[in-house]
Amino acid sequence: MLRLHRLRKCYGPLVAVDGLSLEVNRGEVFGLLGPNGAGKTTTVNMIVGLTTPDEGRVELDGFGAPSNPAVRLQIGVAPQALAIYEELTGDENLRFFGQLFDLHGRALSDRVAAALDFVGLTERRRDVVKTYSGGMKRRLNLAIAVVHEPPLLLLDEPTVGVDPQSRNAIFDNIQALRDRGTTVIFTTHYMEEAQRLCQRVAIMDRGKVLALDTVDGLIAAHGGKSVVRAETANGEVRVETTDPVAELNRLQRDGTLATFRLDRPDLEAVFLNLTGRSLRD
Amino acid sequence: MRTIKALAAKDLRLLLRDKPGFFFTFFFPILYASFFGLIMAGDDRGSKEIKILAVDEDQSDSSRSFISRLDKTAEMAVTPSDLTTAEDQVRLGKSVAYVLLPKGFGDAMRNPFKHGFPNLEAGIDPGRPVEKGMLTGLLTMHVFESLFGQLANPKFARQVVNESVADIKEATIADPLTRATLLTFLGALDSFLGSVIEEKEENTEAGGAGNAEAAFGFPKLEIGVKDVQRKRFGPRTFYDISFPQGVTWALLSCSAAFGISLVVERTRGTLVRLRMSPAPVWKILAGKATACFITTLGVSTFLLLFARIVFGVRPLSPLLLVAPIVSASLCFVGIMMFLSVLGKTEQSAGGIGWAILSVMAMLGGGMLPLVFMPAWMQRVGSVSPVKWAIYAMEGAIWRDFSAAEMMLPCGILVGIGAVFFLIGAIAFNWVQKA
Repeated sequence: MLRLHRLRKCYGPLVAVDGLSLEVNRGEVFGLLGPNGAGKTTTVNMIVGLTTPDEGRVELDGFGAPSNPAVRLQIGVAPQALAIYEELTGDENLRFFGQLFDLHGRALSDRVAAALDFVGLTERRRDVVKTYSGGMKRRLNLAIAVVHEPPLLLLDEPTVGVDPQSRNAIFDNIQALRDRGTTVIFTTHYMEEAQRLCQRVAIMDRGKVLALDTVDGLIAAHGGKSVVRAETANGEVRVETTDPVAELNRLQRDGTLATFRLDRPDLEAVFLNLTGRSLRD
Repeated sequence: MRTIKALAAKDLRLLLRDKPGFFFTFFFPILYASFFGLIMAGDDRGSKEIKILAVDEDQSDSSRSFISRLDKTAEMAVTPSDLTTAEDQVRLGKSVAYVLLPKGFGDAMRNPFKHGFPNLEAGIDPGRPVEKGMLTGLLTMHVFESLFGQLANPKFARQVVNESVADIKEATIADPLTRATLLTFLGALDSFLGSVIEEKEENTEAGGAGNAEAAFGFPKLEIGVKDVQRKRFGPRTFYDISFPQGVTWALLSCSAAFGISLVVERTRGTLVRLRMSPAPVWKILAGKATACFITTLGVSTFLLLFARIVFGVRPLSPLLLVAPIVSASLCFVGIMMFLSVLGKTEQSAGGIGWAILSVMAMLGGGMLPLVFMPAWMQRVGSVSPVKWAIYAMEGAIWRDFSAAEMMLPCGILVGIGAVFFLIGAIAFNWVQKA
């Protein structure tokens, strides 16, 4: 669906993206996971044609490079900053952006209604956006990105600053889009979001992809061992193992296991092992 | 085209939702133009009469009648006074002038052939040449009209003849032939006037017109009147000056508002979203320019219609007025584009933008009309598009420009707009890429 080939972008002496190559398959939810400043937003901007790479190229299967404005009809973007007109209503915002994406007439009205319904804002469609809560604005930001039903959707930190209820609603939206076959590229620095939503994840730091695989693959390869903490007749036991189930079975067979706690490695551990620092540093 | 239309409609909708911005774009210029028109017109707006004092030293029926006659005219408001007070009032500027009717005025009015032509004295500041000319003209006219009115009355004329006969009889005239000739002529005139009076009285009794002039035998003068529009060489009212200024303020306000709105789009992230859409940059700028152009056209038309309806500002050539409105709108669209790249935040863009626009307004006569400025300042003002916008609008409103004369200011406005737009668009692209 999308191919990035050796992308490089510098801002003066700062190398924002350094030789990034990856492919995103049609219909998958692909995560770009990394701390702030890792180069995720620059990558998104290059994918959508907003930023011209110093080196390398972006290609959308069957359409060409998104630097050509016509190719952008195939892409929907929900930028990290809330890019909506607060003095307009939700309906007016969607109509306006829909028109920019070549929708008009009955098709525009239908798509606006569908997008509002998709993010649960139909009842507030006539209200000006400045009266919306932060979570509602985020959902409208997402609705604008999907109003023209793009086959490729880029979500740049779509859950920043929202309450848990709106965050769950956005997760449900993304899962619904995946079920419809939309390809989603999702940038975040929240590992639990990537773990929950993404089929494959690229871990970025300092403009480079450090690792790219399925979540389980990344954890298996870079997450390290699971830790089993158990209370037995002989006292407390702490065991690091690659096979915690086998270890628990062994303790059970010994008849000494009273209670236990299992700490499995996650993407945070993957990032820590790959970079030597925490994702939230 | 659909994209540009959508972008322009969005900006117009945002302008309508922004109540302070809407006020400053549409209504502040009206307040400005009305206020300056009013203060330039001063207290005498709507009143064309000259306030004068009348000093009656003659205290005769004729002098009182003459003063009453002056007071009834539309051109003068007359207040009786004594000479000392009148001089003080004029010196202090509380009255425009005084008119002194000296002793003997009544006699002179009654019989100018015997007592000489009536004399008047007018006291007026030499710094009021216009009022001086108007006052002497009006006094002369009213003296002549009074005299003519009296002489047209046969009874008054017969009385003058009889006085003359008595004077001749009392006078010592050396030549008996001259004396006899005069008495014979005046006697015949007296008989003629007597017959006229009798005829008039008979006409009156018979229900006739009783018109003194007609009875006297003078044919009534018929004067054909043909309307010939006087060529105007100046503004008809001060609103002819203040409203073109008001329109330029509206244009300045529009270009500032839309220029800042582009900065707001940049700072709030909506510009990034627009640029992520299939719309190329030139369409995004064209949408903004279209919205600005529609607003400037709308506000100019609104202001000039308001001036026409409320203050009676009637352009000499309404059709020709379209040219300065369109060209000034294009010019300020270009300036809007330039302003939009001057600041990184809306505060800095607003500050820098209004600083530049204020200088343009100051130099170009947007604050104080150029006619009140020294010659060198008027020359310096030529660098400001405000001057050309006002000049072109005045050209259609009261300067009576021909189409050829209108081409220069309008061409300059379009040229300035094109240069500013080009600089702004190049800088905008450069900023976006950076």
